[in-house]
Amino acid sequence: MKKGLYACGVAMMSLALIGLTGCASKSLQSGGNSSAQAPAKAGSGSNADSFPSTGIQPSGSELRGLEKSPSEERVGNAMLSKVDPSASAPRQLDEAASAELRDVFFGYDSWAISEEAGLGLTRNAEWIKSNSSAQVKIEGHCDERGTSAYNLVLGEKRAKTVRNYLVELGIGANRLSVVSYGKEQPSCSEHDEPCYQQNRRGHLVVKSGK
Amino acid sequence: MTQVKWISSVAGGLLLAAGAFGILESGAADVFLEATRPDFQKISLAVAGIQNAGGPEWLGGQIEEVLKKDVKRSLVFDLVDLPSLGIKARALGTGMGSDAKAVFNQAAGNGVSVVVWGKASLKESGKEAEVNMEGLVYDSGSDEVIGGKRYAGNPSVLRLMAHRFADELVFRYTGEPGIARTKIAYVVQHASVREIAVMDYDGYDARQVTADGFLNLMPRWSPDCRFLLFTAYRSRNTQDIDMIELATGKRWTVVSLGGLNITPALSPDGNFLAFASSYQGDSELYLLDTRTKARQRLTVNPSGDLSPSWSPNGRELTFVSDRGGGPQVFLMSADGSNVRRLTFEGDYNAAPVWSPRGNRIAYVCRIHKEYKLCIISPDGQNRMQLTTGPGIDDSPSWSPDGRHLVFSSTVHEKSHIYMIDADGKNLERLTFQGTRNSAPSWCPAS
Repeated sequence: MKKGLYACGVAMMSLALIGLTGCASKSLQSGGNSSAQAPAKAGSGSNADSFPSTGIQPSGSELRGLEKSPSEERVGNAMLSKVDPSASAPRQLDEAASAELRDVFFGYDSWAISEEAGLGLTRNAEWIKSNSSAQVKIEGHCDERGTSAYNLVLGEKRAKTVRNYLVELGIGANRLSVVSYGKEQPSCSEHDEPCYQQNRRGHLVVKSGK
Repeated sequence: MTQVKWISSVAGGLLLAAGAFGILESGAADVFLEATRPDFQKISLAVAGIQNAGGPEWLGGQIEEVLKKDVKRSLVFDLVDLPSLGIKARALGTGMGSDAKAVFNQAAGNGVSVVVWGKASLKESGKEAEVNMEGLVYDSGSDEVIGGKRYAGNPSVLRLMAHRFADELVFRYTGEPGIARTKIAYVVQHASVREIAVMDYDGYDARQVTADGFLNLMPRWSPDCRFLLFTAYRSRNTQDIDMIELATGKRWTVVSLGGLNITPALSPDGNFLAFASSYQGDSELYLLDTRTKARQRLTVNPSGDLSPSWSPNGRELTFVSDRGGGPQVFLMSADGSNVRRLTFEGDYNAAPVWSPRGNRIAYVCRIHKEYKLCIISPDGQNRMQLTTGPGIDDSPSWSPDGRHLVFSSTVHEKSHIYMIDADGKNLERLTFQGTRNSAPSWCPAS
């Protein structure tokens, strides 16, 4: 008896909810209609910051429930367009490593400049000073441990510490730029400390052109 | 009216309320009756076979295999093997004939609630080929064939037919749309190149969606699963957040501020983009109104803030900050107020993701020098370690039903993508191809 009452309560609640959902999907659907044109507009140019409407459109569900005499449903997979991998143009490198510029290495979880790294940076600074037209980019790298996302932040901290150190040594900040590669461009891929140490680095490259 | 009937015919009627809330999407985070509850009784279901009705020998067997795996992964059903109960259930036909009735009675007598069977055929005429599949469902509660589905399509959608039927079963018994047709976006690594790819939730049918030949990182879905947002290195010097429309392949830049521009996260209604950018110094969180393009800064402090993830009701964000030294998981209101720290155990907690039902947050935790997955309630209670052993785990992402997580791990040396139940059971490897695969993100809608 109790069970029956509860089931009835659940049924009533769900009916009420289904009613609610019906209203919700109606208003969402009208939003969906207007969004139908938005992607085309967004894609028509390279206008940055354009956003199509991406809210949930319940009308997209293909589930129609089991049927006593099922009618035939066509199943298609139109979700993904084809990408032509040959379209990827090889990137032109506008930078080169210089044999004179040494990598500086960091401790685990750390972006502090060690004494040894400081000595290396002092030598790097001398070279940069004597090549007064050189624009230098500092890449911050991490070992494979930790999350991809936090390693991008950690890599940027390392790159910026190197930049600040070089600025203190008298290099104009306008000659230095930074980029973080996190753990995405390792110089080795073994899962041991010698490799980890090699990957926790600030890597300096000389930019050509601009 | 059919909804009301479920209650009388099905042991899992309780779940109905949960399903209805699920459609509402937000605001009801705490009222869920979850199928992950320890006291949840799975519905015992047997797949009695998909018969070949013309076409290659493997056809029925393959559909059956996909269907069985889907049924198992749903965690709604307990998959029962009829032969192991001594029940021979081949060629059930389509009706309630006396043979079929004997099978159903035997199954019901052994505690099986649902028997599913069907047939499939593949016809080729010239260059055209067509697959037809029919699935039927017997329910022991009402002792009748409650209905079925008929599908037709190109052979390339064979697996999708089985997935769709599995989702209809979940829908019938829980009111939820199921996860078998959902997709997972991730990063494919070849040498120093990182491209975005999308695959089915079970690891099949992988397709690359970018082809720049450089770095594309950490994809995140739009709430409607039609778009992906990700970090792209436009050149070796600048990094933007790009958006791609999967159906057309159209791609454009939505955040280009200079510095790091990472970890995009669209609000559940699609109206706000939370992301991290270092254009004003260190990495801070920002909110972009996708309609007005107004940008609001959410965090102000001299340390790194990143990885925002929305609560399902869109009112709060969980994120990572290293304001205390190492990275820790924090919570705040969506306007940047009411910041509080969530994780206190360990010196490295990162990559938090709020569960679709709002009651849990999964994240990467460093325990004994290993990077594993942990789960915690938004009130800081019920912390548990989800994965154990060697390997660097990263990028947890919830299934839309909140019963599974997908993540990357180096447990087998090279990074690949794995699925695990939200209670730590049933670890399943999803990717085997390519050198390395990482940064999975599960599309939030079915």
